[in-house]
Amino acid sequence: MLIMTWTKLFKSELNAVFTNGPLLVTVFAGVIFYSFLYPLPYSEQTPQQQKIAIVNLDQSQLSRTLERMVDATPQIKITEQVNNITDAKLLVTQGKVQGLLLIPPNFYRDLLLKKSPSLILAGNATYFLVYGTIIEGLGRSIGTLSAEMKVTRMLIDGDNIALASSQYSPITLNMKPTFNASIGYLYYVVPAVFILILHQTLLIAMGLITAGQFEKKINNSAEITAKGYYWLQYPVWKIILVRTILILTIYLFLTFYYFGYSFESYGISRLASIEDLLVLIFPFLLSVIFLGIILGLLIPRKELATLIILLTSLPLIFTAGFIWPTSNIPMTINIIAQFFPSTPAITGFLRLNQMGDSIENLVEIRQQLWLLTLLYATIAMLLMSHKQHTIKNKSTK
Amino acid sequence: MNMHAKINPDISSGINPDISSTIKKEWQFIKKDAWLKALLFWLPIVLALTLWAIFSVGIARNLAIGVVDLDNSVMSRGLTRYYDASPSLSVTKHYSTAEQGSVALRNGSIYGLVIIPFELEKNTVLGKSPQVTVFYNSQYILIGKLINAAVVQAHGTYIATIEVFKSLAKNQGQVEEAIGDALPISSQITPLFNSNSHYGQFLVAAAVPAVWQILIIATVVLSFGVYQRNNNNKNKNKNNWLMAINKQTIVAKLIPYIIIFWLQGIIFISVFYGVMNWPMHGNWFLLIFAQLLLVIACVSVATLFFFITLDITRAMSFVAVFAAPAFAFMGVTFPTSDMPLLAQLWRDLLPISYYIEIQIQQVNYGTEFIDSGGNYLMLMAFSSCFYVAILLMNKKKSTLLHQTTNVNKAIPQLTSTPTVIPRVRDVNNDMD
Repeated sequence: MLIMTWTKLFKSELNAVFTNGPLLVTVFAGVIFYSFLYPLPYSEQTPQQQKIAIVNLDQSQLSRTLERMVDATPQIKITEQVNNITDAKLLVTQGKVQGLLLIPPNFYRDLLLKKSPSLILAGNATYFLVYGTIIEGLGRSIGTLSAEMKVTRMLIDGDNIALASSQYSPITLNMKPTFNASIGYLYYVVPAVFILILHQTLLIAMGLITAGQFEKKINNSAEITAKGYYWLQYPVWKIILVRTILILTIYLFLTFYYFGYSFESYGISRLASIEDLLVLIFPFLLSVIFLGIILGLLIPRKELATLIILLTSLPLIFTAGFIWPTSNIPMTINIIAQFFPSTPAITGFLRLNQMGDSIENLVEIRQQLWLLTLLYATIAMLLMSHKQHTIKNKSTK
Repeated sequence: MNMHAKINPDISSGINPDISSTIKKEWQFIKKDAWLKALLFWLPIVLALTLWAIFSVGIARNLAIGVVDLDNSVMSRGLTRYYDASPSLSVTKHYSTAEQGSVALRNGSIYGLVIIPFELEKNTVLGKSPQVTVFYNSQYILIGKLINAAVVQAHGTYIATIEVFKSLAKNQGQVEEAIGDALPISSQITPLFNSNSHYGQFLVAAAVPAVWQILIIATVVLSFGVYQRNNNNKNKNKNNWLMAINKQTIVAKLIPYIIIFWLQGIIFISVFYGVMNWPMHGNWFLLIFAQLLLVIACVSVATLFFFITLDITRAMSFVAVFAAPAFAFMGVTFPTSDMPLLAQLWRDLLPISYYIEIQIQQVNYGTEFIDSGGNYLMLMAFSSCFYVAILLMNKKKSTLLHQTTNVNKAIPQLTSTPTVIPRVRDVNNDMD
């Protein structure tokens, strides 16, 4: 008889999930649709060929060489030539260019006189990425020109060319971008946002199914059996267990769709082994499932699940630590964020998959996720049995 | 059909040609619903405050970097001090081997790792140009870029001092020439429109509107849902609520929401560009006008979502797909010009894309109305969604009416159906 009830419960649960339209849309269509939509804006990876205006008040051969060098960098494209800085600024305001370079009069002469002439670089800082790209491109070409000038001077001073070119700067600096060597924007956003998508859709799904059941009103206890309200008939732990197994299975597939197919097709690095990933995936998904059940039990109407989760997305992404350094976020907000599984999970998965950290070093994150799992499982059980009792008591009165 | 039939009082309560009383009723209805109240009054404040608080520091400081000093000389320590002195950086750890440092970089406890080679000082003196390598975490692009810029600057300053010192020795103490020797070309970098490079002003000013768009669309969808639910509880018939509304009642119902959301918008820009004194170069009236257009656009989109589905949970799923990724498409973090066509098309479907352009144009450039008229027009165009929603509603109502009429035709000889007939007449009264 025991097997009989387990089977029945499982079938009811399966039925509840697969006949719930909005849940299916959120879970399947949502997760898959987002896997194409979210990376879309970033498919070019880095901003290139930002338009700038040039104000060349020197018009020497050297200043024209600098112009050509600037234009040759992948970051920058010179689209406008103007005669004064006011016109150049106007072009920025009109959105025709995003930056400007001013070469002062007597640039070449001052350079020869070792007077260190000053170039004026400006970028539209409304858009940080655009600004950074322009300054980087300009800085690079100016740096190259500087180095060439030094080498030329050394040669004039009588040093030989091999020596001159190696010591144009006493200590050279080699800046190596690490883990995302191409500094691609997609590689930066997508691995983290995908974790948040799994987190948010899973919370919505659990919220929809749980709230959808417990918001149903019953007038008398006969209705419970007549209408097949199985969530009021079975012990709470059985319902939660079966629901967890079912949803966990679905989400394991979706998680591997992200880490597998999606990452592969976008060329996102996957440094972690499947076993190591699973060590983190289990407590991550479980804690989210239980948190989702709690959400479903706390809200009076199921549609609120989608709404609440929608509004939390941006704060969660900004506190996850990959956009803005955690050390610069107020402590209270950091503490609150630690209660959302997405926060440790994003850090954990980025470290495993993108930064090549080993699973042994993730002890704290694993502990945190398991603690959240335990905490939310307990709260979910208590809340659900409380709710079951209240509904049943009401119906018998 | 008899147009002067007695109106069923139960149903007519939902229809009222008097707009002001509908608005009043909606207001009562908002006051009764804790969730609507929260969404309209205190949740937006909490959300905006949270977003602001996250970036309240504005400019990231003291980002942790580690140093592996294999030389341990006066010069290498001097270089380390220069890195540490940069306001963006903080040398938090010293490692004896590159391996130890690499572990720290991987586990995220440092964002950058400086490796100073053996015999740095000796090779510098010999003119052999030793190389310092800095690995910085570019998985966290923004943080990585900050580290990169700060290290390059600190390093540049340090070598400039060495070079000036060197050439002073060579050219018998001519300081200006020595500087010119060390730094053949100097450059003066100006960030336009956000002169202090405040990250909060940059990101929060865009994130708040993105959340606001979600809030408006979701709340309006919710309000339709609550209305549907309340009216169906009273009357057994599932579609009574639909029969009880028309274009005018919907407009009247939406007016309080439009006013409250508009006020929300006015409040957040007043706080940012007024109270907090963020720079604002444009016309306040144009910006506030654009906010009204955005609110109406979002309300229209929400109405359409609801009438496509006539089911709040499904409509909410539409909202999720539509509005949740909006921030990525706004073009603030990643430039629109570098997005592929498909992304730009999706961006064009979102009202907030047009609004954010107007906001940036007003706040930063003080653009003339004429020069960004297209954005205002596009925002207005979204109100067509409202008309499509009304068409859908009328179509649904006429189908329902048709069904009911058919039932009436079949039934009269058998039984009298007093509850159905007045309802049909009501609808006829209100169809136009």
